[in-house]
Amino acid sequence: MTTGLHRRMKLKSDVNDNDLLRLMLAGDEEALALLYRRRQGNVYRFALQMSGSRSIAEDVTQEVFLFLMREGHIFDASKGTVGAFLLGVARVHVLRRLRAEHRLEPLGDDSDDDDLFMHSTTDVCPLEDLTRAETIESVRKAVLSLPPKYREVVVLCELQDVSYGETAEILGCAIGTVRSRLHRGRALLLAKLRPAEDVEETGAATVKSARCFA
Amino acid sequence: MNCQRFETVVSEVARGQMMAAEQREDALAHSDACDDCAARLGDEQMLTLGLQSLASEMESLEASRDIEAKLLEAFRARTVVVPITKRSRAGYWLAAIAAMLLIAMSVVVFRWSNRPTDEPRHAIKQEQPKPQTTNKSNEQVVQDVEKPDVELLQPSKPKRVRPVTSRRPNNASVANHVTKEIATDFIPLSYMSAASLQEGGQIIRVQVPRSALANFGLPVNMDRYNEKVKADVLYGVDGMARAIRFVQ
Repeated sequence: MTTGLHRRMKLKSDVNDNDLLRLMLAGDEEALALLYRRRQGNVYRFALQMSGSRSIAEDVTQEVFLFLMREGHIFDASKGTVGAFLLGVARVHVLRRLRAEHRLEPLGDDSDDDDLFMHSTTDVCPLEDLTRAETIESVRKAVLSLPPKYREVVVLCELQDVSYGETAEILGCAIGTVRSRLHRGRALLLAKLRPAEDVEETGAATVKSARCFA
Repeated sequence: MNCQRFETVVSEVARGQMMAAEQREDALAHSDACDDCAARLGDEQMLTLGLQSLASEMESLEASRDIEAKLLEAFRARTVVVPITKRSRAGYWLAAIAAMLLIAMSVVVFRWSNRPTDEPRHAIKQEQPKPQTTNKSNEQVVQDVEKPDVELLQPSKPKRVRPVTSRRPNNASVANHVTKEIATDFIPLSYMSAASLQEGGQIIRVQVPRSALANFGLPVNMDRYNEKVKADVLYGVDGMARAIRFVQ
């Protein structure tokens, strides 16, 4: 009777992640299923946005939850949320995979593995209409071409909408570092998205700004 | 607000991050007054829009359902699931006990393997009976001769590993020099078997880099890593190096 009640209770979707993890580690399969369904999307998208590869993203998602099954007891609720913990594990696995496959270099235009968005070429400046599909593809490529330490901050803060605090926990760095990397990452993105002629103009603008300040 | 200050907050303003209302108003007022900063803010806002579009485009993406099935299968395959708190404590105790047992077994095996072979001892005892036995009857002599056989059958007690120096000839000049040294046992080099060490040969004292100790699984004092260490190299009659021992 008590067991049945307990079972029904833990099936409720409002059970928090910490309790689900505790139940899972105690051998509750349904807790694992619920936790997986709740968190796999974030993990998968983070891995996909970091790697640009569906196969890597799926592998990483599987590895993250296998790790949770084996080593979930190392999670410390006082240090952050289960979601942040999972993204931290995912980050380690993604970077390991990218290193193993030598994919940390900026990706070329002939990146083969992704049909995530439709491709089309355009002559217009991407900054003029970023909502268009081809421009989204440009942004995606620009994000993938960022150096990893900027890419992960941009992905977490901009695409995953993770707070600065949680991002700092995931990356194991200070919030100030997150801010500065995000600022630098956005500047790099703008530089990549801006056509060559605009870059020259921006260079002039930078000089103007300095004069203005002076 | 000036352009430099504006630059530090432009990302936050474009992203709509929480910030002091006064600071935001100052930034917006500056961008109204400065064309360059207005363009800069426009770029940042467009970038934010592009990133938001990308995020929303990917929002519906999820891992394939096969992964969930595989994970649940793997979860079921786990035979023992120990609760979190007990596992950590019990794990430490088990590891400690296992380590102690391993150390104890290693000591026993090490002493057993370094024990001198029984056969020569037996032969010596047969050839050179103890002086006390000369006064005993024939029966006692026979018992004494047979005694080593009994000892052979019994599990022998672990014997202490004698230092190499005690095996040296009782030559005063050599002993005086050698007793100050501690040496490891001879370690066969490369493919040479331990049996080949019995063939005799010539020992030559050399100095080798301390890092060579690590090649034979011996601990290296990193503080003295650059120093050299003495070693005796045993050369066979064919001039090939057979074994090495390190001397301190």
